[in-house]
Amino acid sequence: MNAVLRLTIRILASVALVAAIVVVYYRLLPVNATTVALTMLLAILGIATRWGLTESLVASVVAVLGFNYFFLPPIGTFTIADPQNWVALVAFLITAVTTSQLSIRARERTAEVDARRREVERLYALGQAMLLSDSVRTSARDAVNSIMRTFEIPGAVLFSKVDDEFFRSDQQTLAISDEQLRWIATSEEPYIDPQRRIAIVPVRLGGQVLGSLGFMGSTLSTAALNAVTYLVAIGMERARSLEEGSKTEALRQSEALKAALLDALAHDLKTPLTSIKGAVSHLLTQPRNPEEEELLTIANEEADRMNRLVVEVLEMARIEATKFHPDRSPHSVAEIVSTAVKAQEESLQDRRVELHVPELLPAAEVDFEFIQQVLKQLLDNALKYSPPGTPLTISAGVAGEKIVISVADHGKGIPEAEQARIFEKFYRGRGSRDAVLGTGLGLSIAKGIIEAHGGRIWVTSQPGQGSIFSFALPASKKELVP
Amino acid sequence: MSGAKILVVDDEPQIRRMMRATLTSSGHQVDEARTGEEALEKFREFLPDLVLLDLNMPGMGGLEACKSIRAGSDVPIIILTVRNTEKEKVEALDAGADDYVSKPFGMQELLARIRAALRRAPSSAESGPQGFVSEDLEIDFAGRRVRVRDKNVRLTPKEFELLRHLVAHEGNPVPHRELLQAVWGPDYGDETEYLRVFINHLRKKIEPSPAQPKYILTEPWVGYRFAIPEGSKPE
Repeated sequence: MNAVLRLTIRILASVALVAAIVVVYYRLLPVNATTVALTMLLAILGIATRWGLTESLVASVVAVLGFNYFFLPPIGTFTIADPQNWVALVAFLITAVTTSQLSIRARERTAEVDARRREVERLYALGQAMLLSDSVRTSARDAVNSIMRTFEIPGAVLFSKVDDEFFRSDQQTLAISDEQLRWIATSEEPYIDPQRRIAIVPVRLGGQVLGSLGFMGSTLSTAALNAVTYLVAIGMERARSLEEGSKTEALRQSEALKAALLDALAHDLKTPLTSIKGAVSHLLTQPRNPEEEELLTIANEEADRMNRLVVEVLEMARIEATKFHPDRSPHSVAEIVSTAVKAQEESLQDRRVELHVPELLPAAEVDFEFIQQVLKQLLDNALKYSPPGTPLTISAGVAGEKIVISVADHGKGIPEAEQARIFEKFYRGRGSRDAVLGTGLGLSIAKGIIEAHGGRIWVTSQPGQGSIFSFALPASKKELVP
Repeated sequence: MSGAKILVVDDEPQIRRMMRATLTSSGHQVDEARTGEEALEKFREFLPDLVLLDLNMPGMGGLEACKSIRAGSDVPIIILTVRNTEKEKVEALDAGADDYVSKPFGMQELLARIRAALRRAPSSAESGPQGFVSEDLEIDFAGRRVRVRDKNVRLTPKEFELLRHLVAHEGNPVPHRELLQAVWGPDYGDETEYLRVFINHLRKKIEPSPAQPKYILTEPWVGYRFAIPEGSKPE
């Protein structure tokens, strides 16, 4: 309605302009016919540029009529036959049509440039909004809101494949179904429905499928759609890496804190033990009578036991509470075994230790100190749980890409029901609870150490035949450096 | 050896009390310090024959105090600490300590370590090599002097003993255990990390290029060997 009214007014104004020219030249300013025709041409040119084809066509016809009636002799009559008349009409019409076409095209191009500029501005705004959020969930919600706001569309929906979540601006976006979004996420091509004005675009970054993005009432160009999804992809990935980064940092800090606490605890528990042990062991060098010697010996031994307990409990806590990182390098298996046996020389006493360690074994990729601790524990156990005088056997070999080291004894063996449980914390075998000193932590610590190496520890045993404790460690791919 | 002056450095009063009582009753003279700073002060006044140093102290820690003392003196330093990983031992030895005892310890063991640290090897005048001369290294065992490329180099007593023992067996590998017992004392033998640190120090002081040593060579899994490059002679 408004457009028709506007057109009518423009047509009337065009006619009025031509009439004004006729009045001016006919009554006030007599000039020759050529001048009149040129002036009229200018007027039509102006109308065509400013308004358009209809207005200029009407003006052309009126101008030809006015020119013919008032300025071409015989003045005061319409002489259709005069060729001057046809020339003027054709000139006016061509001017009107050509000019209006040109100006329409120019106007269209300006409008298009404007639209592109607005899109770029909006993309920029969207990019900023996406980069400001620092968690994946808020960034997804922000993306949906920013897209609606910046592109002035009624609704948008984002599907995040990693979290399998849908972020919808409101209920009306349900016109785009979950299945459609899932399906487009894995497809290569965007889905565009011009009739329902719906567009669904896959969101991916570097070939990785992140999800899909649905637009309601979309008038966006394909280029703009691609740019939007690219921005959203970058925003989502950025938020995810930020989130992961802060998680890792928090984990690292809490680990450092735990390690520091355990360190402080070790110091505080061992300090009084140091005073006790120092005092008692000194008194023990000059006891005044056998009773005093017996009592001091007990105190001295118990101080040692207390110390072992503190060491083992703290070690267990360290392996469990903090992510325990062994400091690994290639070591010769023969050296690992011989060092462990040498360190146990004193407690081995008359026990014979048979070594079956082939010369040509690959090196083991281990933390030497911690593996020593494991072997010490296994040798300790073998000594404790087998009768005096019986030999121990240590063997090593290769199984697949692992190196397996075993410690075998000729003890009573371990009943099958207990075999799995002996690696549990504080578990002590039925037969040994009262007979043998210990905390029940040694094997769990050994298990923790071996598992931190990416290895495995197990026992095979037959009651009456003795036990074989074995552990598998990764073989080194590097050359051994002595 | 009795009657030595021993400086006990520890921030824990009960440990200082226990150490004072036990060491005094073993015939030693004891003074105490509670922090690294105080240790340096007491060191100048008391002039101890040996320092027992805790690592974990508020303010200036044990490692730093150890370095400061070692910078101006050859006095034996034994580190006493609750930590006992190899990394910490190596750090302490690197800072100039002679020995490392982890808490808690038996007094017998500590007294043995103190005796070993105070024991100076018998004068080399009658036994062992007199010295060694090559184009860039000159060792005079009797005068306890070492010159490298015509410059005097200061060796700590332990470094000097280690070098003497290696030169005495020049050309032959000396096993870890033998070196440890010769330099630290008969109670030692498994502390190969001590050797690693001290050999490292020695190489830095006497080798033209410590990463490719030509005098002090490693014999993998066995020990160390002093090699004589062409054109030099033991005296």
